[in-house]
Amino acid sequence: MPYKLIDHTADIAVEVTGNSISSLFIAASEAWRDTILEFENTLMESSKKFIFNSVSMEGLLVDFLSELNFQLYTKKWCFISCKNLLFQKTELNIQLDAEVFGQCFNSINHKIKEEIKAVTFHQMKIEEINGLFMTKIIFDV
Amino acid sequence: MNINGIEINKMTDTVWEIPKHGSMKVPGKIYLSEKMVKNSLTNDEAIKQVVNVAHLPGIQKFSLAMPDIHWGYGFPIGGVAATDFNDGVISPGGVGYDINCGVRLARTSLEYNYIKDKIQNLTNSVFRNIPTGVGSSGAIKKLSPKEIKKILITGSGWAIENGFGTSEDLTLTEECGKLADAEPEFVSERAIERGLDQAGTLGSGNHFLEIDVVEEVYDEVIADVFELFKNQIVIQIHTGSRGLGYQICDDYLKILLEAEKKFDFKLPDKQLACAPLNSKEGKAYLSAMKCAANFAWNNRQIIMHLTKNSLQNELKISDTELGFKLVYDVSHNIAKIEEHKIDGILKKVCVHRKGATRAFPPNSKFIPEKYRNVGQPVLIPGDMGRYSYVAVGTERAMDETFGSSCHGAGRLQSRTQALKSSKGKDLFAELRKNGIVIQAKGMKTIAEEMPNAYKDVSDVVDTMHFSGISKKVAKLRPLGVIKG
Repeated sequence: MPYKLIDHTADIAVEVTGNSISSLFIAASEAWRDTILEFENTLMESSKKFIFNSVSMEGLLVDFLSELNFQLYTKKWCFISCKNLLFQKTELNIQLDAEVFGQCFNSINHKIKEEIKAVTFHQMKIEEINGLFMTKIIFDV
Repeated sequence: MNINGIEINKMTDTVWEIPKHGSMKVPGKIYLSEKMVKNSLTNDEAIKQVVNVAHLPGIQKFSLAMPDIHWGYGFPIGGVAATDFNDGVISPGGVGYDINCGVRLARTSLEYNYIKDKIQNLTNSVFRNIPTGVGSSGAIKKLSPKEIKKILITGSGWAIENGFGTSEDLTLTEECGKLADAEPEFVSERAIERGLDQAGTLGSGNHFLEIDVVEEVYDEVIADVFELFKNQIVIQIHTGSRGLGYQICDDYLKILLEAEKKFDFKLPDKQLACAPLNSKEGKAYLSAMKCAANFAWNNRQIIMHLTKNSLQNELKISDTELGFKLVYDVSHNIAKIEEHKIDGILKKVCVHRKGATRAFPPNSKFIPEKYRNVGQPVLIPGDMGRYSYVAVGTERAMDETFGSSCHGAGRLQSRTQALKSSKGKDLFAELRKNGIVIQAKGMKTIAEEMPNAYKDVSDVVDTMHFSGISKKVAKLRPLGVIKG
């Protein structure tokens, strides 16, 4: 698994790793999904495309995961996987174009294990060490 | 004593000070009994967060922490800080994601003997009628964005106008259930959308609704003013502003982080992102935060009314026989503009209470007239297997803690540890053995919220009691617990 749980007194903390920024983001999305959801992968998937802009990679990661949260609670759409993440530098920001795949929520195929109120910046710092990207993420639950 | 590399000095039996060092603007001050120090400060980063908060521009006197201190974001949970209104800042990290998370206590005229055989049915009935759990919705019809905006402006007043309670309920809610100058134009469409179907819902995690019995009364005179007596059945509701509040916090953290360069504050933690109270960004956050606070008060008002109806339908008794009345509703995640004495001079400040309860004293014009001779009720829930407390605010709190006290037990174990130590245990049976019925959406929540995962709330409440910050009035024991 490209992420592991770390002990946190009140909330849920994970450490995610990837051999590229893209795979780090994918690992983070999987950590988010596995924290929040149990699902049977038998339903037809649909895809959604999102564009995020931020001054920092950490900002992009929080925005990306927060969008998955919003999609679940408000649009009743469960994120399952993502494949194509495209990062590019613009004049002021970094932009992420993401195509994600998921399913419409239904209580038979999906069970929500934990409510993630928010994806926090606390202790988040994306670093590259010997070609491996890593960061901690703390979910407020 | 040195804890996690930070020097901490014992000042009294219940007060510890972190001397000002580095670029701290004020010292830190933590209320803890000696026996709580190890459990509360050594396991995580909470003590470092007390130091971090002391860096906020305009902070006054101390970066404070109550005895239920534990690791949060930016501020520790149990953190209190007042910043100068004119040249200080406001920080969403000093309020938290669940804006105006708080507690409401309602009393009844019922005694334990009358309902002791009906607890299961009463708990089931309330559980059926109050939506609980993750993303819970549908307590009342889905509202339009226009109606949500009305709630953001009028707070609990919306519930009363729509038949969910009486006007007396407003007078017994902190701020009468409505913070003025809440302007929905500062709330994103996304936040409004998250609130559309969440008015009157409990949510999940540590939020709960309890049917309790008053097990012990410590101060008969004050208990009488609060209309509480031994063996009486009371209701506690703990929830907040739900997804709408979380989204507002998210939105403004992003805005403030982007404005970081403009303000050029050198802060040790991103989650302490803040803006001057007199800046465009600071004013916008304060207004949006007030909107979420109003949404939360309205939420608890609706839940209380639905609970009253459930009890009444189940017991088939009249209003008079039930004697259901709000005792008080207090927020424990909020920032408020208040006046406090700093160096003997009354000064306007922004008091951030992040997991801390307002605890105003007798004669304060900011508390209901009914309580003005004795002080404000301070509601301190414990864990679901032991007890909760009702205390009262004091003048000492005004002098030392910007009129604040603790807000709960405070977590001791992580969720992972709690899950591990609950393995092989029948938690339902253990609670039943102690006379507690539980209803919940998921077993995982029960395991994560098991009593041993929390500090003993008695230690927390006693620390505040012996410090003279809030005085014990009554102890409540859970009988029926509803968790999300």
